Amino acid sequence: MSDKMNDSDDGLDYVQDLPGFKPNNPTYFDNDVIDHLLGIVLDMGAELWVVKDRLAFLEETLEKSGIDVVETLDKGRPSDALQVQLKEQRVQMIQRVYGRLYGSYGGDNAEQRGAILENLDVADS
Amino acid sequence: MLGTDAAYPRGKTAGLYPALPTRSDEAYAEFVEDARNCLLHAQQHPIAEFSRQKMRDSKMSQTSDSESTNAAVEFLMQDPTIKTYYRIKRSLQESFWQCLYNAYDRERETLEAAIEAADDKGPGSVHYDPNFQVPEYATAHIHLQPGGYTGDPLAGYLYDYGLKVFAGGAADNDVLAMMAAGAARPPADGKVARVLDLGASTGATTTALKTTHPDADVCGIDISAPMVRYAHLRAIEQDIDVHFKQMAAEQMEFPDEHFDIMLAVLLFHEVPVAIAKKIIAEAFRVLRPGGTLTVLDFPGDRSNDAYTMFFVDMDAADNGEPFLPDYVRSNIEDLLVEAGFEVQDYNPAMALATGRVAVKPAS
Repeated sequence: MSDKMNDSDDGLDYVQDLPGFKPNNPTYFDNDVIDHLLGIVLDMGAELWVVKDRLAFLEETLEKSGIDVVETLDKGRPSDALQVQLKEQRVQMIQRVYGRLYGSYGGDNAEQRGAILENLDVADS
Repeated sequence: MLGTDAAYPRGKTAGLYPALPTRSDEAYAEFVEDARNCLLHAQQHPIAEFSRQKMRDSKMSQTSDSESTNAAVEFLMQDPTIKTYYRIKRSLQESFWQCLYNAYDRERETLEAAIEAADDKGPGSVHYDPNFQVPEYATAHIHLQPGGYTGDPLAGYLYDYGLKVFAGGAADNDVLAMMAAGAARPPADGKVARVLDLGASTGATTTALKTTHPDADVCGIDISAPMVRYAHLRAIEQDIDVHFKQMAAEQMEFPDEHFDIMLAVLLFHEVPVAIAKKIIAEAFRVLRPGGTLTVLDFPGDRSNDAYTMFFVDMDAADNGEPFLPDYVRSNIEDLLVEAGFEVQDYNPAMALATGRVAVKPAS
């Protein structure tokens, strides 16, 4: 279903070709990997800062409540349920942040596979 | 059993791996493990397809000979995405080892004491010689592991956790080792009194062999003293009665016709071909007639194309696998036949994708 007006009726076909009209992935360097890497570095800075901010806030909040968590954070381990959540989020983050590096052949959507078996299996691919 | 609670205050991870000293170390390792799964393992098939298509489009030779392989390396490593794959592979490897080494090094005194304390405890035993002359080939930093297999007293710890991460979780709870032990074919007459694990490293396969053959005397040999000492500690933590000896597989100290089953998991690609030939000759000597040697390792180059050999060459240079290309080109099944073995069919559903079962003919 579409309720868009047909631009050709109004002589507006040309807008499709205007720079910036269609979403795209511009590259500014001769090697598109450099473009991706700069994007990743910025993304990682943001990801890291969110974690630092949240951790500092958490420690301050707990300290005000009389709870010293440093020992627990160093020597403990998240609950099994949280570890499952963390793994899911970790994989999503890796795919979201770095997957673009393999976009040229569709590797950003690559199926997850095993490791050792895969190494030996490449000969048969 | 050995109490290692003091050495591993954070317990074990994924069954048998001593947990890293802090949650931050562990989180770093988890990130690397998942990054490898997403950015390396998951990419192997699509990047292989992409690379082969590029080579076809440019009418490159697809054969596995050295000339075509060298041309493939030069051609494919011009591509930004393929360069990126190998940069990521190398960087993840380097940063992970640094993390792991630093983590264990902080606990070095405690961990070395745990190994020392295990030396004289049972079940099972460990024998090593402080004056053992390690051949130069065995000092290579395989997989870029700091100190290699022989140069650091904590090499076993490093290798064990390294395998966990590099296998992307597939080796957790010794699942791979159990599969490998199950793939070691028993002799046709079913008599299994003595079993040898060649290149036992951390002993995971050795203990798995004992689980598979509980009535047999099971021994694991490795050229590295740190490995056999760690393997012994790891075995007694599981209360499994196996014996480890520091020994070069190319110069074994066992009598003729001593073993019924021998298993070599990912050993032969980590030694020069000349040494591999000596190991095979020694294996033939110490196996009894009708005994079996199962080799689980990379395939040879006969079914390979130029891309696969490109992959092999890149792995050699970037992943500390100096002997891998020569090993692949040696087609180890040929070496086994030359030594007098009969090579039987191998069922890849049993364990790793590529294996060979060599039988010493009954005289």
